[in-house]
Amino acid sequence: MEYRIEHGPAFAWLRVTLGPGEVVRAEAGAMVMRSPAVEMETRLNAGYRPGIFRLFVAFIVALLRKVLGGETMFVNDFRGAAAGGEVVLAPALSGGIVQKKLGPGRSLFVQRGSYLANTGSIDTRLRFGGLRTLFGGEGLVLLECSGEGDLFVNSYGGVVEVEVDGSFTVDTGHIVAFDGTLDFNVGSVGGLKSFFLSGEGLVCRFTGRGTVYMQSRNLSGLVGWISPLLPG
Amino acid sequence: MHFEVSYRPSHALGVAHLDAGESVRAEAGAMVSMTRNFTVDTSMSSRRAGGLLKSLKRGFLGGESFFTNLYTANGGPGHITFAPRLCGDMMVHELTPDRSLVVQGSSYVAAPDSVVLDTRWQGFKGFFSGESLFFLTASGHGPVLIDAFGAIEAIELDGELIVDTGHLVAFTEGIDYRIDKAARGWIASYLSGEGLVLRVSGRGLLYVQSRNPSEYGKTVGRRLPAREG
Amino acid sequence: MKYEITGGPDYGLLKVRFEAPGEHVVAESGAMVAMGPEIEIQTSARGGLLAAAKRKVLGGESIFQNTFTARAARQDLYLAPPPEGDLRSLDLAAGQTFFLQSGAYVAHIGDALGLDTKWGGVRGFFSGVGLFLLKLTGPGTVFFSSYGALHAVQVGPEGYTADTGHVVGFTEGLNYGIRSFGGFKGLFLSGEGLVCDFNGSGTLYLQTRDPGLLADFLHAYRPVKGSSG
Repeated sequence: MEYRIEHGPAFAWLRVTLGPGEVVRAEAGAMVMRSPAVEMETRLNAGYRPGIFRLFVAFIVALLRKVLGGETMFVNDFRGAAAGGEVVLAPALSGGIVQKKLGPGRSLFVQRGSYLANTGSIDTRLRFGGLRTLFGGEGLVLLECSGEGDLFVNSYGGVVEVEVDGSFTVDTGHIVAFDGTLDFNVGSVGGLKSFFLSGEGLVCRFTGRGTVYMQSRNLSGLVGWISPLLPG
Repeated sequence: MHFEVSYRPSHALGVAHLDAGESVRAEAGAMVSMTRNFTVDTSMSSRRAGGLLKSLKRGFLGGESFFTNLYTANGGPGHITFAPRLCGDMMVHELTPDRSLVVQGSSYVAAPDSVVLDTRWQGFKGFFSGESLFFLTASGHGPVLIDAFGAIEAIELDGELIVDTGHLVAFTEGIDYRIDKAARGWIASYLSGEGLVLRVSGRGLLYVQSRNPSEYGKTVGRRLPAREG
Repeated sequence: MKYEITGGPDYGLLKVRFEAPGEHVVAESGAMVAMGPEIEIQTSARGGLLAAAKRKVLGGESIFQNTFTARAARQDLYLAPPPEGDLRSLDLAAGQTFFLQSGAYVAHIGDALGLDTKWGGVRGFFSGVGLFLLKLTGPGTVFFSSYGALHAVQVGPEGYTADTGHVVGFTEGLNYGIRSFGGFKGLFLSGEGLVCDFNGSGTLYLQTRDPGLLADFLHAYRPVKGSSG
């Protein structure tokens, strides 16, 4: 399997060349194009080899998120036929794509909307950072990704890597992913007044050592900016 | 008249340079700025009969009717700049009389009058929301300014390729397309998030964009305040 | 204090490095991306509640602004504007004036910088984007954003015309008039609505995308009142 990230950093896409039987898993709706020989199979995103219980939980969450207007919980597996083939994948928003190799002891937390694709035996488990997240608020829905393979995450806007050694605060809407070695908690940015008036919403406080991948744009920011201009 | 494109690829701006008496026809709403010496004439290229009112209604409701402005430079040279609605690239396709170009409706920006635009209805409306395609055919000769949502990839096609409906920009004569389900079954096609795809085949030049406007619209749109039905 | 702008023109991002305790930056609410642990955020209605309310009503910007103050040396603060596009800094000398479309303001350094909202003229009822201007008077440094790339035009005696939705700001020495574009028919059909005719001499800053057109595009994807999903 080979991959190339092209058209970055502004509007990156991921081009994957698949050998016979090789599989890349991608977020539903991410396909730009594929060669006719590549087969596509749709699955509920319950992780790598899920048990009955995790399938059930994934199904309930999928249903909840569908009703609440969140992203779908489905993924597509693209499989190379006997002659191999090619598939091109892209996220919904503008921005870049970052590749991370995962292996034993190297997990990554990924903001739900930033997951694009993965290869190998990478397992993704849902983690909720705060209660508001379930209800479509600004909180943090994370995928804890572990296992072996390549993980591809996308950013809205550019990607900024920050090496945290100590403590660092990031607006939840600007988080793409971060190393599993970091501790984090979600809270408000300042006092009570700032929470209501500052417009900064929720932030994530990281402590420890590891890398945080931030995105230079924020979907909530775009929504707040464009809303006054909407017709009617 | 010639085009120049700056700020590629993310926020491209198309500049048309005209000599005195030359004209350029552009999609209504695309003008950003211009020198003072232009006159503008609006015309409606409705792709179905139905007159002004129907065309207006479609324009407001579906964004499907197609108004163009003819800009003419008077008394001296001038320039006029154009931009697409959304972020992304723009490029110039040099049209030759032997090979017409089929352009996805919202990707056509501007061309001189030596390019003839056929706006008759060609395309389809999908069963899944947000999927509809409306094609224009450009023939004749001269530069055609087209835009894309995201980056543009030019593909020399010789064979078949499966392309998501939202990623197609344009293709030259000699290429044909067929609408197909994304997956084997209807339910799988729906759940896959891909809905309908185009099976594009033949020989020619195919332009694909790296982002899908309706995916972008859905992702941002579901977070916006509700509108009146 | 040092600052650096990266990621332009695609997605401009401002990184401020505070070098001593007490150094501070004022930013539009919602602009904070990330910050070090020893930075304090204070929310206030700048210039008193009344002045802020006036800006809110006239300028469409938020009433509240945040002041980020370093409590220790070597603290980093990242700020970003909401739209996809560029971010620029502008140093204004004492008494020097710059006119900025109010939505383009991101942040500033310098307690002596004057910020006053001016009624810019007719509200662009067609595209929904009015031309509301902030009058900035130095000394100080202001950071402003564009939707799309920032395109500078040197306007001379022959004048220049720009779509209102694309105007970001302009220097002292330019004046403008707003008119509907292409007469009555043009106003409703051409999609261009209102344009600004600039006269005098100075630099005009345009953005290569129009927020009003993005709003029109996204409108179709909003949830509908009274229906689920």
